[in-house]
Amino acid sequence: MGRISFFFKEALGSLRRNFFMTIAALVTVFLSIVVLGGVLVFVYTSDALLKQVEEKVEITVYLKDGGEPADVTAMQGEIQGWVEVESVTYITKEQALERMREWFKDNPEVLEGLSGNPLPASFEIALKDPQAVAAVAGRIDLENPIVDDVRWGEEIADKLFAFTSQARNFMLIFIVLLGIVAILLISNTIRLSIFARKREVEIMKLVGATNWFIRWPFLIEGVTVGFIGAAAATVVALVLNNYLAGWLRQNIPFLDLPLDAVPYVMVTVVLLAVGVGIGAVGSAIGLRRFLKV
Amino acid sequence: MIKFEDVTKIYPPSTVGLERVNLHIEKGEFVFLVGPSGSGKSTFIRLLIRELEPDRGRVSVGGRDLASLRSWKVPYLRRNIGCVFQDFKLLVNKTAFDNVMYALVVTGNATGASKRKAAEILSLVGLGHKAGSYPNELSGGEQQRVSIARAFVNHPPLLIADEPTGNLDPDTSMGIMQLLYRINKTGTTVLMATHDREMVDRMRRRVIALDSGKVVRDQKRGGYGED
Repeated sequence: MGRISFFFKEALGSLRRNFFMTIAALVTVFLSIVVLGGVLVFVYTSDALLKQVEEKVEITVYLKDGGEPADVTAMQGEIQGWVEVESVTYITKEQALERMREWFKDNPEVLEGLSGNPLPASFEIALKDPQAVAAVAGRIDLENPIVDDVRWGEEIADKLFAFTSQARNFMLIFIVLLGIVAILLISNTIRLSIFARKREVEIMKLVGATNWFIRWPFLIEGVTVGFIGAAAATVVALVLNNYLAGWLRQNIPFLDLPLDAVPYVMVTVVLLAVGVGIGAVGSAIGLRRFLKV
Repeated sequence: MIKFEDVTKIYPPSTVGLERVNLHIEKGEFVFLVGPSGSGKSTFIRLLIRELEPDRGRVSVGGRDLASLRSWKVPYLRRNIGCVFQDFKLLVNKTAFDNVMYALVVTGNATGASKRKAAEILSLVGLGHKAGSYPNELSGGEQQRVSIARAFVNHPPLLIADEPTGNLDPDTSMGIMQLLYRINKTGTTVLMATHDREMVDRMRRRVIALDSGKVVRDQKRGGYGED
């Protein structure tokens, strides 16, 4: 019988013996991690949603009629060269009109009275980092004779970014708080179970067991409980997420939710790691008091 | 084997545990530690296994000053001191055999040879047939035998017994005493704290009497009370 198999035998034996404590710790881990998993799924989904909204922020440069094609090409090339810029699309007057027709194809009478083409040509600038919108827009040369106007929905963009960054901070704080609550809850449960075995630890010390010799079985116990609880919780959280996503897609199809934004593998790994970590830390904290002297 | 030099232990705020105790116990001796409750017997024992440290003076075991012992080395000290208590201190969810084994496993001895050793020592204390029993299936005397087997299985040079017969009837106590006596015969120093007047008077061994933390008598072949 090797030392390691002895530790495992001890750990599994006492998990079985302290059945109700084991169940209590399992349920605590399970519930904490289901909630944590739910929050993670929510964070990922809403973050993807925020990104989706942010990506819609773009700059439109309206051009005066009759500009030289060479000037237009030169300006497009210049803007394209800026690091923050993802792409610059040149929309001709004809394309703009075509688009207008497309939008109003159900009520063609709106466009019937038009004589000629009143729409300006434009550049549509998509950005790598939507937050840079104000800076990029400010750099566009309004003195350039071919430029008529620059639009980028400045107020809406500002408000949107203020909202999204606040939403992210809020979720981060929420996750941290939740993690702390989970650790407290679990280390308390484990401490209770260890307190019930205080005498056992005392005897082990009297017989000359080193602290690590006493600690290992408890750590294995904590990690086992953490792992099993977290695994069950992960399955429940992800299944629930899938179910909810399907339901949302069916019942609110017009709401273009990014429901596939959750990186399942990542979330699984994170939740399992948190479960195992909490189990180990909880055992270590719970034991500390009894190992002195 | 054991040396106390001017040892004082005060429990805060001002309860005296031991006061200026000087004594010397040789290797292989059998010593009774007697005295009323609160006289300092338990303090004496807890100092020996370094559950406590003295406020003044020096305690040495086997030539080793316990104050210089780093705390991570305390378990190694305890492996060299077998301990037997009034309440047996057995692990209730382990069989008699596994309780004895535990003392071997903590030292890193979990081989086939140590299993044989555990079985042998249980036979030696007369419990070979009850190796698979749990403590709650054993009588008080039997539990104390298991506890002695566990204390002795590593052949410690020193065995401490704190009221080992305190919960047992006279006949059973006699059996336990004989066991301790045999262990002493193998060269192990035995220190036994007790209230058992009859036992002490019958054995005629060295008696150290404590009262209010002081050594009031130290007699080579003494009885429980003053002769």
